[in-house]
Amino acid sequence: MLSRRRLIGLGLAGATLSGCTRIARGLDGDRLPADLTLPAGDVHPTVRLLDRAGFGPRPGEVAEVERTGREAWLESQLHPDDNEPSGLKFQLSRLDVSNIDGMELRDMPENEMLRQMSQAAILRAIYSPWQLRERMVDFWTNHFNIYARKGLAAYRKPNDDLHVIRANALLTFPNLLRASAHSPAMLAFLDNRQNMRGVANENYARELMELHTLGVHGGYTQYDVQEVARCFTGWTVEDGFLQHRGAFKFDPERHDRGEKTVLGVKIPAEGGQNDGEHVLEILAHHPACARFIAQKMVRHFLGGANEAWVSKLAKIYTETGGDIPSMLRPLLLSQEALEGDPVSKRPLDFVVSALRALDADTDGGRQIQDHLVAMGQPLFEWPMPDGYPDKTSAWTGSLLARWNFALKLASNQLEGSTVDLKHLASRIGQGGDADKMVAVVLPGRDLAHIQEAAKGAELSQFAALSLCAPEFQWR
Amino acid sequence: MALDHSCEDYRRTTRRSLLMGAGISSVAWMTRSALSQVGVRPGNADAGGDIVVSIFLRGGADGMSVVVPYGEDAYHRARPNIGLARPNDNSAAANARCLDLDGFFGLNPALAPLLPLYKDGHLAVVHAVGSGDQTRSHFEAMNLMERGLGQPVGDVASGWLARHLASSPPRAASPLRAVSISSTMPDSLRGATDALAIESLDRFRIDSDQDAAVRQSLASLYKHGKDAMSIAGRETLDVLDTLNRLDPKSYKAANGATYPVSDLGQGLRQVAFLVRANVGLEVACLDRGGWDTHVVQGATTGLLALQLDDLGACLAAFAADLGSDLMKRVSVVVQTEFGRRLQENTSLGTDHGRASMMLLIGGGFKGGKVYSQWPGLEEHQLEDPGDLKVTTDYRDVLAEVLTKRVQHANLGQVFPGYVPNPLGVC
Repeated sequence: MLSRRRLIGLGLAGATLSGCTRIARGLDGDRLPADLTLPAGDVHPTVRLLDRAGFGPRPGEVAEVERTGREAWLESQLHPDDNEPSGLKFQLSRLDVSNIDGMELRDMPENEMLRQMSQAAILRAIYSPWQLRERMVDFWTNHFNIYARKGLAAYRKPNDDLHVIRANALLTFPNLLRASAHSPAMLAFLDNRQNMRGVANENYARELMELHTLGVHGGYTQYDVQEVARCFTGWTVEDGFLQHRGAFKFDPERHDRGEKTVLGVKIPAEGGQNDGEHVLEILAHHPACARFIAQKMVRHFLGGANEAWVSKLAKIYTETGGDIPSMLRPLLLSQEALEGDPVSKRPLDFVVSALRALDADTDGGRQIQDHLVAMGQPLFEWPMPDGYPDKTSAWTGSLLARWNFALKLASNQLEGSTVDLKHLASRIGQGGDADKMVAVVLPGRDLAHIQEAAKGAELSQFAALSLCAPEFQWR
Repeated sequence: MALDHSCEDYRRTTRRSLLMGAGISSVAWMTRSALSQVGVRPGNADAGGDIVVSIFLRGGADGMSVVVPYGEDAYHRARPNIGLARPNDNSAAANARCLDLDGFFGLNPALAPLLPLYKDGHLAVVHAVGSGDQTRSHFEAMNLMERGLGQPVGDVASGWLARHLASSPPRAASPLRAVSISSTMPDSLRGATDALAIESLDRFRIDSDQDAAVRQSLASLYKHGKDAMSIAGRETLDVLDTLNRLDPKSYKAANGATYPVSDLGQGLRQVAFLVRANVGLEVACLDRGGWDTHVVQGATTGLLALQLDDLGACLAAFAADLGSDLMKRVSVVVQTEFGRRLQENTSLGTDHGRASMMLLIGGGFKGGKVYSQWPGLEEHQLEDPGDLKVTTDYRDVLAEVLTKRVQHANLGQVFPGYVPNPLGVC
């Protein structure tokens, strides 16, 4: 079969991509400020904000946010537009998954789909100025986790990524939830595609309440799971001849037409597709959902439980109809976020923040992804519906892999990525090599032990050790 | 930013005192570090009990398709499409029948490689076993089992294996006392101060031509910190030192054993290496996902059978590789968070249920038997939406393994407030 991709002539795009990073970066010029020396004064909360709201500062960014003011910076982050730097746009445009509907790419091997999807995600996280959007994309991608190696998920997920996750990452939760429920990738991943009247399939119904909306102790019962499953019978994915394969479809023949009761609310018979829509409304407006989403945000952004913040955010959720920016604004500017305990970096956080810190020129390609695999976080490959864990204890085994990545990156042995440490160091006024690299990687910290650990070493070793340091594993 | 001020997660993982008892924590750390500097003392093969190899089947393995209660008519009625036929059912194709174990239960033929172990008495099955979890949530149920609890109550954050390690003296001073062959640490080892998650021993090395110098710099970088990452960094460096002296890559399985290329197979191969290398291994954790068979689960072929094919081949290779002598010192425990609904659903799969089975492999088990207080499968014998009742608490099995095989003497620390009823499996 002649593939649509080859017809369009993009067949070689992936293969030639890695050579293009230099060109891509050329489009944006040298973005390093002339002087990277940090402004005096209150720097830590700004570093923290860039670490928490995004993937860590790039050289010069701390001073930039200091000039704009943290509030103003965050406000603009809460309302991103589609304007991305030319270099990023260029790199993304070379990926088939950016140009063609995933279901049309089925002649491409699954591994290549995953590679391109990961590449796009990594490039955006590194180079997009809309850092908060990228962080929230990571957050919701895990909240509505889809394992890309189940069935055709690798071909369905690009659509989900674009139209469910990215489109709604900073809008409202009810919208996001609705989009996810209608997403063919989700319908397939949690088996609702095969859910039909008779003995209904409970998979989606359960995870919808447990993981997406109410939380496991959110007040639903096994009976509710079975009733919700009945409501969603017939929600499936088009696969008919000459039809738009892979699109959402409601099949009335497979739907259970009887009356249902969900969380005490009667759903009358003969509701058709509306049964499911009704359930989504009930769940999105349930107080347990407000609390559950609040809890999850607090855990992610403060690193642990904080009942005061959970109540505060749950209240905002209820008052604003689940408006995501309204919840994030006070949380990210809070003293707890900016001056409280550090949160550990997951491997993606670590890798992206390292590449940003050293202002690396990278294609986000196979080499970077192989290192993420070694650290235990290949993107889109967490098999369970709950998303990658966020507790520190789950990730302490990844240190060796982090060290190996840092050593390769700083010594320019990572194919597809380059760093220019001399150039970076030249923009910092005072201090020896170690001071300069610490200033770049861990701005504002006094880390005498790094100097001590790498006595007499080269610039690249100082950079590597700064990335290896325990301090850089936290954000 | 002061790393000594800690958030909840941060604090939990760094406070050894939570597990070790107040006061002794820093001493314990220093002792271990000091000892590891002089290298691993070869363990005394006769000291202490078995090495525990804990294998978790994630996703809720359908116990009734693994070890089939073929003697129940209700089983065959509820599973017209995905049920396995009786061993002597001549109306069914030979490859659609289960393999008889005891006249009532039969083994899925995908697990045929385990049949010799059963016949030799080295494989025991426990059936209708599970926890008190009623949520039927994977995460809640796994979390409960890995923390060693019966009900989701209390504030026990650490894992049962972590508490086992914390409440028994190490048999040897070893950075490889507890190992999870995985990229992330399982909850059963959560809070363990001497456990490490390693995806591959073969690839566990500093990837630099100045390996020794880099390790020295890292040791200096990591020497002071009290945060979870600093502690993990020191442990990582300890393990690097040890593995540097061994050569996991060159390990060849014995007795003609061939491990499957799956993660579980390669993981077990590495565990076998550690067992043979005598480096003080006491606990190894592995897992295998993919058991959440809501759709097209199949019977003797299909999704579930593919899973079982691999599981059977992996376990059989491990037992063959170590041979009956070494297997006398190893207890393999296979468990899953819950079983699945008796009634098959309209997408030819099964939904989350209650009780499942456990497999126990090792020279110390009284195998060749299915241990079960079988609750029955008729409607009045099922629980809630139609699930197999839990008649054996999974902790009864784990506790018996710990006391009789591992010679653990502080069971109250591992399963607080629980009085186990031994089944006599070992």
